[in-house]
Amino acid sequence: MQSHANATVERVDWLSVTFLLGAVLLCYYLLPLLSLVFSQSPGAIVRQLTDPNVVSAATTSLTASIASVTIATLFGLPLAYWIARTDGWAKTVVTAVVVLPLVLPPIVSGMVLLTVVGPNTFLGELAAANGFQFTRSVAGVVLAQTFVSSPFVVVTAKAAFESVDRSLEYASQSLGKSRLTTFRRVTLPLAWPGILAGITLAFARAIGEFGATIMLAYYPRTMPVQIWHSFTTLGLENAFPVAVILVGIAVTTLVVLNVLGTNPLE
Amino acid sequence: MLEVTSLCKTYGDFEFGPVDLRVDDEVLSVLGPSGSGKTTLLSLIAGIVEPDVGSISLNGSRLDGRSLQERRTGLVFQDGALFPHMTARENIGYATTDQDRITDLASLLEITDILDRQPRTLSGGERQRVALARTLAADPDALLLDEPLSSLDAPIRRRLRGELHSLFDSLEIPVIYVTHDQRTAMALGDRTAIFRDGAIEQIGSPTTVVNRPATQFVARFTGNENLLEATVLEQDGDTAYLRVGDVDFRATTPEIEKTAVTICIHPSRVRLHAPDDAVDTPGENTVVGTIDDWLNEGDEYRVEISLDDAPATLTATIRPPTFDRLAIDAGSGVRITVPPGAVHVVG
Repeated sequence: MQSHANATVERVDWLSVTFLLGAVLLCYYLLPLLSLVFSQSPGAIVRQLTDPNVVSAATTSLTASIASVTIATLFGLPLAYWIARTDGWAKTVVTAVVVLPLVLPPIVSGMVLLTVVGPNTFLGELAAANGFQFTRSVAGVVLAQTFVSSPFVVVTAKAAFESVDRSLEYASQSLGKSRLTTFRRVTLPLAWPGILAGITLAFARAIGEFGATIMLAYYPRTMPVQIWHSFTTLGLENAFPVAVILVGIAVTTLVVLNVLGTNPLE
Repeated sequence: MLEVTSLCKTYGDFEFGPVDLRVDDEVLSVLGPSGSGKTTLLSLIAGIVEPDVGSISLNGSRLDGRSLQERRTGLVFQDGALFPHMTARENIGYATTDQDRITDLASLLEITDILDRQPRTLSGGERQRVALARTLAADPDALLLDEPLSSLDAPIRRRLRGELHSLFDSLEIPVIYVTHDQRTAMALGDRTAIFRDGAIEQIGSPTTVVNRPATQFVARFTGNENLLEATVLEQDGDTAYLRVGDVDFRATTPEIEKTAVTICIHPSRVRLHAPDDAVDTPGENTVVGTIDDWLNEGDEYRVEISLDDAPATLTATIRPPTFDRLAIDAGSGVRITVPPGAVHVVG
């Protein structure tokens, strides 16, 4: 009995130790964020909120992020499912390709995109001939954001699909259900929390995207570009309130995503 | 009727087949060690994997090349494979929208009370009942079961085994029941197929497979651990006279063509008596031996005996009353009788 009690105490102690160590990191996340928010007077933030440049940047950021995450999900989920249900070398190669944008420095991502959709490329000229442009446009923002954020959807959804036991899919199909029905009613609901986590990460990455975006589309400005612009033209003090607004948009969106995060197809 | 012809599948080092099999409206239990190809057989029939060669047909129509959903082969997995995000009722309802059918199946499988529970709150036995109900709800043309009882506790397994027996009888479709448990295979199968290294080693009634194993592998796998090397002395009609060491055995057997053979005697057919018992069993083989060891296995005792006149040991399984009456202990002498019909020449 004595030893049993000791064992319990020891276990609780270890948990406390892990929490204390982790708490250092938590403080490191939260302190700067809170310090940023509380260092700014509400008046300064409201002033920025009514600044047409900031409003326009916020609109561009939100619109482009929603568009890029939608694209990432539409194309990323099928790819993630394919990777999760494929074996052999093809799986390894494709996974490596998907991870590539994650390891590239964002500014390099922007540069490689420019070599494909830039003004002097085949695709760029083709678009221009049709009165459209991939750079200096919302399309450019979406392209940059999709490139850097979509791997989060694919990688996280792949893990989520892999965690769904294949025998459940076999069971469903042997009960006479098609692959699509099986996916919709069995695989997707079970993988959904993981997929939602991927979408959330991708959104966070997209709305904060800066490096690839300035290469592809300095205009129309997104919030990070607006922050950069305020910082370089008006100084750090003037960039802070815009940063607070971006943090607000990001956090709100993540909360909304998670609150509404029940499987729409279930 | 389910018919499998020249079925082959190779995975890396493992070669399955060629397997030929015909299952009428009966239960075929498939018995074999891990990696012998039992599950592969089910996967091939269900359509989880496609064969390299061979064909599968169910009631006259070809299954190979068709998708899982078109095959109408009900599949029950080892862990039930219940959809964890659905209640038991929703799981069964996944296969049928007919509420009366759900009610009937629930009552048949005695799961009416647990229909609204989530799978994670169910016991192993309850999960398997729900899984079976779900599979039957789809009204399959054949039923394939992959070790559905193997993860259950012994008493629940015994009970479900009894229930499955009568359930399968009432289905009138081909049933293939894969297991590595000899007792389950014997209890449920109208016929039993023993698998080894991807091929069928022997197929026959459970009695035949246990009492007349075709190979030493089948003998060992069905619990026939008494395998003795013997010399054929003489054959007279269906009776053969065999010698092991200085002990002679009579065996009822078709003609043997070899002079050196392996014989097997199932431990349950080895009868033990006190050394001084006036054993009156005319026509039976009688030998004397010394008890080496014994093991209490709960419902029976397993007794190891060295034969006094041969360099061989015999294992006997005896009921507790016999064990008590003979006051079995290591080192004590014992008289053994074996009916000639229980001495089987393996080859």
